[in-house]
Amino acid sequence: MAVIETTGLTKVYNADQVPVHALRGVDLTIEKGEFTAVVGPSGSGKTTLLNIISGLDEPTEGRTIVQGTDLSTLSDRQLIDFRLHHIGFVFQAYNLIPVLTAIENVAFVMQMQGRPQKECNETSRALLEEVGLADKINKRPSELSGGQQQRVAVARALSSKPDFVLADEPTANLDSVSSGELLDMMLELNEKEDMTFVFSTHDQRVIDRARRVVTLVDGKIDKDELRE
Amino acid sequence: MFLKVIQLGWKNVWRNPMRSAVVIIAVLLGTWAGIFLSGFFAGMAQGYLNNQFKLTVGHIEIVHPQFKDLYSPEYYIPNSDDVIRELSQLSYVQNISTESVTTGLAQSAHSNYGVTMHGIHADSNNAIADYIKEGTMPGQSDKRNPVLIGQKLAERLDIEIGSRMVLSFQDKNGEITGGAFRVAGIFDSFSDPYDEGNVFIGLENMNELLGLTNQVHNIQLELADFSQASQYASQLQNEYPNLQIQTWGKIAPELQYMYDMTDLMMYIVMVIIIIALIFSIINTMLMAVLERTRELGMLRAVGMNKPRVFSMIVSETLFLTMVGAPVGMLLSWITISYFGNVGIDLSAFSAGLSAYGFGTVIYPSLPNIYYLNITLMIAAAALLSALYPAWKSLQLNPVEAIRKFN
Ligand SMILES: Nc1ncnc2c1ncn2[C@@H]1O[C@H](COP(=O)(O)OP(=O)(O)OP(=O)(O)O)[C@@H](O)[C@H]1O
Ligand SMILES: [Mg+2]
Repeated sequence: MAVIETTGLTKVYNADQVPVHALRGVDLTIEKGEFTAVVGPSGSGKTTLLNIISGLDEPTEGRTIVQGTDLSTLSDRQLIDFRLHHIGFVFQAYNLIPVLTAIENVAFVMQMQGRPQKECNETSRALLEEVGLADKINKRPSELSGGQQQRVAVARALSSKPDFVLADEPTANLDSVSSGELLDMMLELNEKEDMTFVFSTHDQRVIDRARRVVTLVDGKIDKDELRE
Repeated sequence: MFLKVIQLGWKNVWRNPMRSAVVIIAVLLGTWAGIFLSGFFAGMAQGYLNNQFKLTVGHIEIVHPQFKDLYSPEYYIPNSDDVIRELSQLSYVQNISTESVTTGLAQSAHSNYGVTMHGIHADSNNAIADYIKEGTMPGQSDKRNPVLIGQKLAERLDIEIGSRMVLSFQDKNGEITGGAFRVAGIFDSFSDPYDEGNVFIGLENMNELLGLTNQVHNIQLELADFSQASQYASQLQNEYPNLQIQTWGKIAPELQYMYDMTDLMMYIVMVIIIIALIFSIINTMLMAVLERTRELGMLRAVGMNKPRVFSMIVSETLFLTMVGAPVGMLLSWITISYFGNVGIDLSAFSAGLSAYGFGTVIYPSLPNIYYLNITLMIAAAALLSALYPAWKSLQLNPVEAIRKFN
């Protein structure tokens, strides 16, 4: 079973005024363990696509099936719960709660899932070690560099044991060294844990590291390349 | 897990310590000022009432049913000795004072003035004793026909201790009578009109002139709790159907009105302060919510549901309020207790105050029930001001909020 399967996704913004066709029929299937970059020019619909896959936004037409669940059948409430348990998020910025330490940030989503405190602590600690921040677990986000903050965000995304991790331009605010490190780390998690990653990016060096590159142009898939 | 949300709320309170501190201090000062002012007004009103109770009405007053019509001396209380003995057995009666009363004219060589004359027992514990400024009570004087007069009257008649004056009035048969008295003492109470219009002489002296023996016209009861007066008065009325028994509120409706109004005033002051607090809290919390749009969007995106976001914001507001309010209440309790003992001396303004019958020293006081009511009011206000920002925080659309990331 595919982790993500979209069929005929379209998205029209401002349908009643000047319509913007952000997506014009996207069929995309992502299997477990894939490491996929969604690329394309600005305004080509990358963010829109990721938001629909994660159930944050609704398509105008078409369906999204995540691990066998058709998102259109879920109520708002069920969608939030679905995201909490099935999807890990990494955003471009503002991923972390500024008043919490790194480990508290990682544990937060697990706590929302209602897991026991002990498990939250142990898992969070292990994840922070895995992303190379063992010595920073008690630091607040403001005490961390941008790259370190994004790594905490990746650890947080993994903490909920999601089916896949969605990252919209996770490296956009990072310098090239930090971008490279973050991508190395994501690749390592992809290999070691078989975690599925879908991320959007403009950065050619990041694109070069992806295993699969889906190129959107004008809301349609223009190219879909597998690399080795 | 819910605890985690509330913990997060608490931490959020301190993300802008300066702003939170300002709100907390505003709540603290508002609570304190509101309660202290209430206590001040209540103490002022209570002091006024106590003064009036002491000198003019008493909590319950017992007279002959026709006495009040014209203050005719013939309408004394029949068998007053028996009545007084029975009353003194009652557990809720703290003090009994009795007098014979009539109205007449006070004259000196220089001037004259209409006064109320009080005939009091030599061993009477009449409250006027507390206000003697010079000389003694009539009962303690070795002069013949001693009289105690007010400072104002002494000035008006231009007399002093040892001076002679004449009191004339009607006896019980309506005949003009009177006698020469010597000023044995001068009192100065909280009220200028009272000082000008009241004189005290010995009961025997007065009754002899009135043609009475040891009868009295007026029995005043001091109760342990004056607010219970009407309940006890109606009990007594059943026992003594031939006497007129009235409460302070009936005799002096303006006092009852004042008593009721202070209650209302205190709550109005509190409500105004609380409304001001609600607005400042809502304003602060709205700022706190609006500047965190992206973070709240992120939290909603990663799976924090609406009830949790709502609870988080509500808890933040409640923390803001619940730190300041109890401290403010404690502070007001301490200051009210302190000044309730020591008093606040307003003698700088006392000339004005005593013309209206207020004391010059205010003893703030507030019954405990008000602390409870004010606590409830503040809690309700806090909840009210918590709901709007929390509701507002739910209106944001996570997709819109996240788009602002880029
Ligand atoms: N809320 C909205 N209302 C109207 N139009 C929108 C809205 N969100 C996105 N769009 C439009 O939809 C199109 C696709 O936007 P989207 O953000 O998905 O592109 P993108 O590929 O992520 O671009 P970028 O690389 O700049 O992030 C754009 O033309 C954009 O202007
Ligand atoms: Mg985008």
